[in-house]
Amino acid sequence: MADLPGHTTEFQNVTMRNLLSNSKVLKLATLCLLLSSATAIAQRDIEFHNDIVPLFTRFGCNAGACHGAAVGRGDFKLSLFGSDPDSDYDSVVRHLRGRRINIATPEESLLLLKPTEQVAHGGGTRFDIDSDPVSLIAEWIRNGALHTTSRQFTGILVTPTTYHAKTVGDTTAVKVTATYSDGSKRDVTSSTVLIAEDNTGVEIHHESATIEAKRRGRHIVIARYLTEVHPIEVIVPLTDARLRRSKSISSNFIDEQIQSRLKQLRLQASPQISDELYLRRATLDLTGRLPTAESLSQFVADDATDKRALLIQSLLESDGYVEYWTFKLAKLLRLRTQQHDQEGASVYNEWISEQLRNDAGYDEISRSLLVAEGDAHSNGPANFWRTTRTARDQAELASEIFMGSRLRCANCHNHPLDRWTQDDYHGLAAIFAKVEQGVIVQTKPNGRVIHPKYLEPAQPKVPGAQFVDDSDSNARMQFAQWLTDPNNPYFSKAIVNRIWKQLMGKGLVEPVDDFRSTNPATHPVLLDLLAKDFVDSGFSIKHTITRITESAAYARSADAIEANKFDDKYYSHAIKMPLEAEVLADAIADVTGIHEQYGEQPVGTRAISLLDPAVPSRTLQVLGRCDRSDSCESTADAIDGLSQKLHQFNGAMINDRISAPNSRLTQYILAGKPALEIIEAFYQVGLSRSMNDIERSYWKKLTVDLDTKVDTEHFLEDFVWSLLSSKEFGTKH
Amino acid sequence: MNQSPKCTAMARRDFIRVGGLTALGVGPTAKMAAQTNNQQFKAVTERACILIGLAGGPSHIETFDPKPNAPVEVRGPMASIATALPGVRLCETLPATAKIMDRISIVRSVTSPLGEHNFGTHYMMTGYKPTPVLEYPAFGSTLAAVRPPEGVLPQHIAVPNFVGGVSGNGYLPSRTKPFGVGGDPRRPEFKVRDLDFYQGLDLARLGRRKQMLNAFDQFEREQDAASTESKNSELERAFNLIASKDAKAAFELSAESIETRQRYGMGDAIGQSCLLARRLVENGVPFVTVNNSGWDTHQNIVQLKERFPGDQNAKALAFDRAFSALVTDLDERGMLDSTLVIAMGEFGRTPKINVNGGRDHWPNVFSVALAGGGIKRGYIHGSSDTLAEYPAEDAMTPADLATTIYSLLGVNPSHELHPNDGRPVRVAPDTAHAIDALIS
Repeated sequence: MADLPGHTTEFQNVTMRNLLSNSKVLKLATLCLLLSSATAIAQRDIEFHNDIVPLFTRFGCNAGACHGAAVGRGDFKLSLFGSDPDSDYDSVVRHLRGRRINIATPEESLLLLKPTEQVAHGGGTRFDIDSDPVSLIAEWIRNGALHTTSRQFTGILVTPTTYHAKTVGDTTAVKVTATYSDGSKRDVTSSTVLIAEDNTGVEIHHESATIEAKRRGRHIVIARYLTEVHPIEVIVPLTDARLRRSKSISSNFIDEQIQSRLKQLRLQASPQISDELYLRRATLDLTGRLPTAESLSQFVADDATDKRALLIQSLLESDGYVEYWTFKLAKLLRLRTQQHDQEGASVYNEWISEQLRNDAGYDEISRSLLVAEGDAHSNGPANFWRTTRTARDQAELASEIFMGSRLRCANCHNHPLDRWTQDDYHGLAAIFAKVEQGVIVQTKPNGRVIHPKYLEPAQPKVPGAQFVDDSDSNARMQFAQWLTDPNNPYFSKAIVNRIWKQLMGKGLVEPVDDFRSTNPATHPVLLDLLAKDFVDSGFSIKHTITRITESAAYARSADAIEANKFDDKYYSHAIKMPLEAEVLADAIADVTGIHEQYGEQPVGTRAISLLDPAVPSRTLQVLGRCDRSDSCESTADAIDGLSQKLHQFNGAMINDRISAPNSRLTQYILAGKPALEIIEAFYQVGLSRSMNDIERSYWKKLTVDLDTKVDTEHFLEDFVWSLLSSKEFGTKH
Repeated sequence: MNQSPKCTAMARRDFIRVGGLTALGVGPTAKMAAQTNNQQFKAVTERACILIGLAGGPSHIETFDPKPNAPVEVRGPMASIATALPGVRLCETLPATAKIMDRISIVRSVTSPLGEHNFGTHYMMTGYKPTPVLEYPAFGSTLAAVRPPEGVLPQHIAVPNFVGGVSGNGYLPSRTKPFGVGGDPRRPEFKVRDLDFYQGLDLARLGRRKQMLNAFDQFEREQDAASTESKNSELERAFNLIASKDAKAAFELSAESIETRQRYGMGDAIGQSCLLARRLVENGVPFVTVNNSGWDTHQNIVQLKERFPGDQNAKALAFDRAFSALVTDLDERGMLDSTLVIAMGEFGRTPKINVNGGRDHWPNVFSVALAGGGIKRGYIHGSSDTLAEYPAEDAMTPADLATTIYSLLGVNPSHELHPNDGRPVRVAPDTAHAIDALIS
């Protein structure tokens, strides 16, 4: 890749706009202000790291669109947002034969002539000749442009970390304090860049460093000083409603956390769902299937008070659970047929099933994958090493899956919104470079990757932690142990967040593969508690599923009420989720009674069990499956709605099956069931409920006009078609 | 990279002059347009666009920007040829285009920092660099969002499909997502799928199905305070399309004469796709994206012209035939001035031939060809340097190109659209400007 992926752009646009307004402010700033801050700094030595580099960030010089780009700009390269002050020092003082600074006449330094646009500058005027930054930089140069630093910058403290605004229009001041290795502190608010993630939600008043709530909801403001980025959460209640006291329904820690957020945002929760809908929701979530008519009537008739808990237990023990969650994990791991090699995919899939059947700890599963060796045709987890072609791709894959982190941003530059550095990225790739990725997975002692900054082999490194000896052929084990350590800050959160999303419709962190400090969870404490609970249970997936499904939040209705209709992420009501393509395809097959044949697989093979996610199937294509060649989090390649509807009307997906010789409908008709009974039966198998009175009278009115047998058959075909096309059928709700 | 525009937001120029009047945003300002009662404005707002996407990134050197005087490792194995425009040469892969050089414009100084397929495609197709926060809409989807819909044909159609890891509609409602006709337009029996009734069904049955489905969805909606009132609009659109014989006829390639089909290239996907695009535009579709993959020539650059002796259907030749046929056909039908034709990839290719005889990704400078729809006839905008490495004059970003395209189609680049969360987003980035020099 030639340059940054443009994703810092938004960010920079905002920064740029801020800068424009700021330079105006600077012009207007009173002499008094200038003097006071200049003298404050003059009392001690001006230091490159702590005084000059922050200016580069503050004025956008080292942004990704300018000199912070991987290749720099106009032959002047600064590290992105000042992440590498030492190399910045070289760029400023040593490169270009030292012409950027002029110690004899500091004002003539290119470093000042350019940003004040006394000579042509591609980036325009950054600050004025008589401004504070100019005098600061000039003073530093006059003092010898020294590299010495008396104290190491250690971090920033930002207040507030959460701002609870009462209403739109409320403001609060932000204060940022830098801390240093010698214990000293300094107010750096004026050199901190504040960026609203959504500038229609929060407005930033830069001159006074205050933030103003502009819209209801929860918003994030990012404070950036040097390499440090901290989020500030801004909360404005979504309604002015006075909350009715809800009966405390559960002492589950999940509900406590969800409830407290709802209270802050003044959101009333929707009521709990009926047994029928609980059964449908849980069966879909745990087995990817609709409940059968028999299980429906049994469950409804059951008097046991703990029948929901018992249901979850029995679903977790079923083959359906193993089959469906194997599919979920396979999607996560991007398991697919590699170069027509069914054998490897099959062994891999079987291994995953085995782990789930035994509820193996997720730590153990992950370790097995990471340290796997041997023949991928006999050792399932070895296929993990065939998912990608190169060590770098494998490092990106592993960080996304196991850490929920987009380490890939750190390929070309230190991650601008997170802690990841190029050393982390290429260090992890260097660990993985010691693996021969192929049918036979084995150690490759000489494998290396080149660090793009030093143009030398990168030193193996555990991300965010220790370097590993280059000769250590078992560096993978070190990484795996660090990763799966109970105290690892990423591992268990990443997986419980994915489980949460499967069950609750949205991750506490979204996207689920983009954990970073600047993308905080909607419920941070809940995420911590879930992760801790998961670790305490021995990394048991079944345990966490049980915990979540027993909460009141899980059993909430998906229908919004007036008081919470603007909420789409705080779980005041359940979130309606379209069924995944494969689950929907299987549901259509189950309800019609006619299975699709996929490739050369035996008839009856379920879509969720296909080893080759790209097997030709118009049905799966129309329903928008993921072929797992890339992360399944994005849906960019989904088919357009018009094509989908055209296929629904005129294609084979539904039409081929409704009245096929052995279909459910044909059987009902042959058995002589009356039309309204057939309709009721399809309600049960398709929607997992009975008709209500309104529906019954609607369908009844339509059936009375049916004269002939053919009329009735056509009518019922049309009915089944519309049920299978309905939103209620196609969603988990 | 000195030639790149400023990284600041200082230069702003949203409005450009189109045929002597200012391009206005459609939508809220449409009324103003009506009041001016200006024929020219009407012409602008009725302009259509056919965008030929050459996915994979065509070599600029082997198409629109040959370097006959460069060293052989840059010049490559192919020769350049003279064109209808004195002093302007194209690569020998484009003989038919060379003959109509006096009817088209070429920009030889497009520059982008994004050398990865999906990122580059996003930037070229939307005018915005990709970000994880927001996915931007492609031009056709924006147009579908701001122009009031007319007729039953989709407003944004992709032939055969929309690709490149871009959804098309981005943050806009899914109704603006390009309709992919699918299939292989090369096949003689090519038909757009799922337009004809499934055996045993007729319009009355489909009408009843739609009615029942609406009833189901209505029952469901009544329970949910958050549901929006809207009907299943995509279902209605599909139904109306199926119901309209006239609309469906627009998709019938077989209605064209053999001569016409051969003129566009009978055995070429790109040729038949361009022909279908012309039929669709003729029938009132405002935006058609023709997608043609296979331009990612990391190996043996000669294959663009010849994969085996006597090859008549190599990539560049097929494109040459299709593009020149489309432009001349539109011109003959009097449709060229109201139809903007654009041919572009997501980036160019490395100036130096690599060890495999191919060229790798190179976004720093590449070419885009434009014709009709208000574009100058016979004009070269900007240039690359002698080694085809960087822009030498008049560098133009994909954002500038987007601004130009929007202006030509009568959409104000500063018009604001709204994603789900309600924030305002400009049609084109505010750092970009339209290139007046391209406009006649």
